Amino acid sequence: MRALVQNVLNGTMMGCIYALITLGLSIIFGVMNIVNFAHGDFVMIAMYFSFWVGSWWKIDTVATPLVTFPLLFVFGLLTYYLVIDRTLRQKYVTQIAVTVGLMTLLRSVAQLIWKAQPRAIPYSLIRGNFVIAGYTIMLSRFVSALVSIAAILIIYLFLTRTWQGRAIRAASDDLDAASLMGINYKWTYALAFGLGSALTAVAGGLLMSFQQVDPTMGLRFGLLSFCILALAGLGSTLGLLISGVIVGIAESLAMGFWDPRAQSLVVYLIFVLVLWLRPRGLFGRK
Amino acid sequence: MKTGRNKLLLWLLFLVIALALPAAFYSSQYNMMLLTTVVMYGVLATAWNIIGGMAGQFDLAAGGYLGLGAFTAGTLLIRWDISPWLGMLAGGLVATGFAVLVGYPLFRFKVREVWYALSSAALVSVLRVVFLIWEQVGGPTERYLPFHKWSLYHLRFSSYIPFYYLMLLMLILALLINHRIRNTRLGYYLVALGDNEDAAEVLGVDARASKLKALMIYASIAGAVGAIYACLYGYIHPNFFSSSLSLEVSILGIVGGMGITYGPLLAAIILVSAREFLRANFGGQLEGLYLAIYAVVLILIALFRPQGIASILREVCARVTSRKEKDD
Repeated sequence: MRALVQNVLNGTMMGCIYALITLGLSIIFGVMNIVNFAHGDFVMIAMYFSFWVGSWWKIDTVATPLVTFPLLFVFGLLTYYLVIDRTLRQKYVTQIAVTVGLMTLLRSVAQLIWKAQPRAIPYSLIRGNFVIAGYTIMLSRFVSALVSIAAILIIYLFLTRTWQGRAIRAASDDLDAASLMGINYKWTYALAFGLGSALTAVAGGLLMSFQQVDPTMGLRFGLLSFCILALAGLGSTLGLLISGVIVGIAESLAMGFWDPRAQSLVVYLIFVLVLWLRPRGLFGRK
Repeated sequence: MKTGRNKLLLWLLFLVIALALPAAFYSSQYNMMLLTTVVMYGVLATAWNIIGGMAGQFDLAAGGYLGLGAFTAGTLLIRWDISPWLGMLAGGLVATGFAVLVGYPLFRFKVREVWYALSSAALVSVLRVVFLIWEQVGGPTERYLPFHKWSLYHLRFSSYIPFYYLMLLMLILALLINHRIRNTRLGYYLVALGDNEDAAEVLGVDARASKLKALMIYASIAGAVGAIYACLYGYIHPNFFSSSLSLEVSILGIVGGMGITYGPLLAAIILVSAREFLRANFGGQLEGLYLAIYAVVLILIALFRPQGIASILREVCARVTSRKEKDD
């Protein structure tokens, strides 16, 4: 029982961060219907940027997104204008091929620059644990989970309360109608892509507070976020949080009670079951 | 008629060169290994062409089927001393069985496009984990095949040359299957599905059955290759379920030219040779460079030449012949 609760706690905290990782993908996929296979590798790159910023300027990891957020926003804009924009009217195989190429490129560039050994930042304010009612909680994960929830709420408010956010949602619902209403779709797309990749900066900074980064971890994050997105369904920002937590708990239980290596197994099983049984996801609008 | 004969002549020329290549390289085992690797990627990419190129299903599970074949043949040989020749058959069957197990529900529930690609990519990592945990067959340490200096029964040789010819045989088989399918009902169905799945279904194409058949054929070839792969390297390890290999195979398929029989082979010859060249000359210091080049080539081809390098070749050929006719 103790172990169960402990695992659920850990899973919940991880799940919030997973939801934040997925948020960027959800915006990009939801708006452009472009499947960014490279999303996990954006997270990986964001983590490396955090590593650089953190170890050069001796900034705490949690603060690195202040620098990496704009960096990844520009990175996303560039990616959009150089590559993604050209695939919008192509067959989906082209789109997959291009983003798969992007994913491979990012991974190998990371390997070239940072080599294969894992990197981590040795210091962070939010190191350590605290104990509540006998349950150990890692401070870094706790803070990360809180920041993730806050970030998701901010994005939710941005998408529902601001003109620019509503434009993004309108473009995702009906592009033609949105264009007629005076929405510049190209800029909206670029903004969505930039925002989607910039959000990985926040996730990357948080992840670096308790995790190492290596060039191959992109695929794991990619699959993870697609799993959560499939579970939540398109167009539901707050649903991401719930599905993220579900996946996080499932993963943590599998690791605790079965085999530490089984975590990706559970994620995959959830993924496949959702695709079979409920392709719209739990909270999907479309 | 004339072009048909020319084509046949070209294929024969290719075959003669392929058969004779070891004569030029036999002195260096390293070069023979490279040749074998190139041919192996050629086989995998050619097989991928059936599900990816023709049917348009972006499969990312080549490593999964390869690994299953390798583990089946390897385990049969290690445990019961059963010849890998049978192992190839068994490996192909196991891979096919697995493909049905996974493919049936996927196609039944209309999992396609990205979602198909993603679930097949996930499959590889899951298989890897399963075989890491499953200590009776896999486990984290390599399992070595019994050593034989030269045994046809055990498919163990102290040279790469027999493996090269074996792979070449597989390649010819894969090319023939590809060519055959292209001109049957199944082939037309697959191409239609690859073009526009909904339209094809409206016209009466049984998408589910056709895609499943394509997947089975592809998986069986990859599984049989896996059996040879295990003997080639002399051990089996869960890392055989490699996501980067799967990725590479699909990249070769796309870059080569979707649905064109010789496209993937062409891409394999060019890109895999380039990769090995880079590896040999820059080695560890530039680990990952070849994948970066792959990726750039893939992005450029996908954006500007969706028909792949085979179409470039085709164009060049057409230009040359038309000029010749003008001269005549």
